[in-house]
Amino acid sequence: MAGAAAAWGLAALIALTCGFARAGIRACCAVSGLGGAAALAAGVSALLSGNSRVVTAGGSVVVGTLQLQATSLAGVFVALLGLIAVATALYAPRYHDDEPSRPTGLYLAVLNLAVLASLAVLVAGNVVTFLVAWETMALLCYLLILRRPRRGEVAVGAFWFLALSEVGFVAIVAAFLILAAKTHTTQLDLIAARAHLVSGDWRVAAYLLALTGFGFKAGLVPLHVWLPEAHPVAPADGSAFLSGLITKLGVYGIALFGFVLLPDGPAWRGILTMGVGALTAAIGILYALNERDIKRFLAFSTIENIGIIVTAFGAAMTFLAYGQRSLWAFLLLVGLYHVANHGSYKTLLFQEAGVIEHATGTRDFDRLGGLAHRMPRSSVITFLGTLGIAALPPLNGFVSEWLIFQGLFQGFRTGNHLVAILIVIAAAILGLTGGLAVYAFVRGYGIPFLGMPRTRQAAAASEARQPQAGPALLAVACVALAVGAPVMLAGLARAMRTVTGVTLRPVLLPGNLTVIPAHTNFAGFSPTWLTVFLLAVSVVPVLIYLAGRPRAASRIEPVWDGGIVAFKPRMQYSAMTFSAPTRVMFDALYRPSVSVHRASDEPAGSSGPVHYESEATPIFERYLYRPVVRAFEWLADVVRPIQSGDVNLYLFYVFAAVLVAYLVAAL
Amino acid sequence: MTGQSGTGLNVQETSEELRRTVTRLFGRSLHIRTLDTGSCASCEQEIRLLAAPHYDLHRLGFFFTPAPRHADLLMVTGPMARVFETAARKTYDAMPDPKIVVATGACALGGVYQPDPFTRGGVGSSFPVDVWIPGCPPSPLALLQGLLVAVGRLAEKVKDLDFALNGAPR
Amino acid sequence: MPLWTLRGLRRGIVTTRYPARPDASAALLPTPPAFRPDVLTAGLADRLVAVCPSRALARDGDLLVFDVGACTACGRCQAEAPQAAGDSGEFELAAIAREHLIKRIPLGGGLG
Repeated sequence: MAGAAAAWGLAALIALTCGFARAGIRACCAVSGLGGAAALAAGVSALLSGNSRVVTAGGSVVVGTLQLQATSLAGVFVALLGLIAVATALYAPRYHDDEPSRPTGLYLAVLNLAVLASLAVLVAGNVVTFLVAWETMALLCYLLILRRPRRGEVAVGAFWFLALSEVGFVAIVAAFLILAAKTHTTQLDLIAARAHLVSGDWRVAAYLLALTGFGFKAGLVPLHVWLPEAHPVAPADGSAFLSGLITKLGVYGIALFGFVLLPDGPAWRGILTMGVGALTAAIGILYALNERDIKRFLAFSTIENIGIIVTAFGAAMTFLAYGQRSLWAFLLLVGLYHVANHGSYKTLLFQEAGVIEHATGTRDFDRLGGLAHRMPRSSVITFLGTLGIAALPPLNGFVSEWLIFQGLFQGFRTGNHLVAILIVIAAAILGLTGGLAVYAFVRGYGIPFLGMPRTRQAAAASEARQPQAGPALLAVACVALAVGAPVMLAGLARAMRTVTGVTLRPVLLPGNLTVIPAHTNFAGFSPTWLTVFLLAVSVVPVLIYLAGRPRAASRIEPVWDGGIVAFKPRMQYSAMTFSAPTRVMFDALYRPSVSVHRASDEPAGSSGPVHYESEATPIFERYLYRPVVRAFEWLADVVRPIQSGDVNLYLFYVFAAVLVAYLVAAL
Repeated sequence: MTGQSGTGLNVQETSEELRRTVTRLFGRSLHIRTLDTGSCASCEQEIRLLAAPHYDLHRLGFFFTPAPRHADLLMVTGPMARVFETAARKTYDAMPDPKIVVATGACALGGVYQPDPFTRGGVGSSFPVDVWIPGCPPSPLALLQGLLVAVGRLAEKVKDLDFALNGAPR
Repeated sequence: MPLWTLRGLRRGIVTTRYPARPDASAALLPTPPAFRPDVLTAGLADRLVAVCPSRALARDGDLLVFDVGACTACGRCQAEAPQAAGDSGEFELAAIAREHLIKRIPLGGGLG
């Protein structure tokens, strides 16, 4: 772990000094990749070996000591960080190849430092370290997004990111302060040990503050509005890092508070978390379907997956409240497994979005098409990522979502009918998002890659000199996470023993590659054998064809197209028409506003073009954030007279403050 | 069967074998794809009546299909408008072998329209036609006779007619 | 049993592949003309050729070439020279070769 940190620090230094040259970028990325590999190994070993001891690393009288501890819970996140760092290191050199310059060097330095700060968040051993690392990470990510500050949307996106990150930070600080004050220590493992000292109301307050604060970072609805503004405007490797890891830091925070620091709590806390998660998942994917920009689409899909993870966590907490300890540990485990899965395929997809943007010059679905012929290897890699994120068997997204469903379906074990119904409702909402996710990613893969190119830029796309090693590595990781799911789950089960005290291994994996969801009398399935079966089953039709195809000479003719002269690109679906059915069905959510302008009332075409514009109403910005902002502005206006500019008034303030303090101290 | 007629070759036993094969393949199960290359649709009206109860093509095992891939027989009407040539060629190519082409109606046989910039004036130069059915439009019975001749279940009759009246006009 | 079954059993086979007896309505159809070679003269033939809107008629020396395939059964040639052209009554005209539809009728009516 220390090795990884040193490597990333060194990589940042290299980038700062030599980043204006190609060789400098390559050197920086090579060192960064080595750091990533080290972090991956360290994370896996942290998973397996349990919580390490607390290491004090200096500090000062003012901020307290800096303490580091590698916990099992953080092991998954550290391993994911390592994997993403390696993939980014493979991806960045070619991605930045056409513009090695001082800003690129700065950017890469900031990226490496942000990676380092994330590592620090994950291995923080006490409150102060955590908060310092958190804020550093947030500021560095803000700088990361600001790669091209002169573009309007970049400034807006970065502002949203920083503003909501700071609001969340306030809540996080408050949550930690409550815990630290009540347990009289700032060391995280001691807080966990002394959690019983915190009374019920304060526990609830701390947890809700943590959920809100980390929810801002994770992207829970309605705290998500910064995500689709900020993630798309960063460069592709930055977006990949933000979506792949930084949102997971919010999830880590929620898991930390929910499972380590404050494990026991009332059932309604778990139900609230589960409800927020389910709502986030559904709203995330519904908004994703309405997007024309690839990266905004992927950003909303991130929100959806975070929702799924948080739903699993919430259900776990609910089960604990009713004494179902093995289901508690199981759902935490599959939530973490989904963290790893989503991290790998979302990073892959964002990297490929960057490749597409460089190859065609556009991020708009409706300007792409037919890329599978122009960019075959990228299209195969993207296809694997799409299969993963759409949760289609046999890949890793399917395995983790299936296991989450199997955990949720056991809601009846809580014994309380209302709670069981609520859990099933959450499962139903997740089912809806699963279906919508398949729909969204058929659109997300089909429109750019399949069919005919819709513009000249798409027809001229080429994958020469485009980065492929990074996404390819992540695709291999996705397949490995799927086929090797039993191995992965075994490692996670061992980590769960440290975190939750529940020994899951015998019920989870009875030895023969089958996964059982915490109770043997419910269900079981084997991801490995499923993959083997699917491969075998797809071989049989091929064999039948080879054996039975006609021996006579045959004529090959094009597909019957109705006899038209030629296909035109405009005959294809556009991205927005493909998702039009959801806009019709869910119009209560989208509240589309349609405006049509034409030069005159003549029939269309004879008097000039008709301008048609349809927009989904941004309900969160309009009905939640704008009123809050207006309230603050009103408050600021009310308070403004204090700043009158009159020195005498300021002296009076000082005098009044001293007088009041004196009186208060005397009483 | 494709392209056999009109080639001038008169190898009797080969064409007999061909006829027998065609009857064996299509005699009781034939899928017909109609193609309108620019007709006035009177021929189509008569073709439509073939499926109606009075003539009832289906009891013979003959069906209409819109998909050339599933079709055995191409029934062409109209004088072959030039703008339609690509589509007609594509339809013909999309049908698997063996296939039969039946030109139906006076337009398709070369009457009514002269070749000009807009039409070819007949489908004989676009397809290798196997059976020609005159008429404007040919009645459903004439069409039925033509189809049965095409699959070899009826003998051709017009070859032996001389259209010469010997005696008072009727 | 339904009535039609009894009627069918009484009458025998009700449906054939192709009409076993001539169809009653067939007599009402307009059909291509048949020509009387003993009445046709060259002049008459030229008049008939001129009046045909479908170019089904042509004169080749002392033969009237009649393309049955091009004929639309409009009846103009019969109206022009009713003594020389009448209804043939033939509608079973499917041919497996285009030449089978080209009929040559001798002009036996002499000159004029």
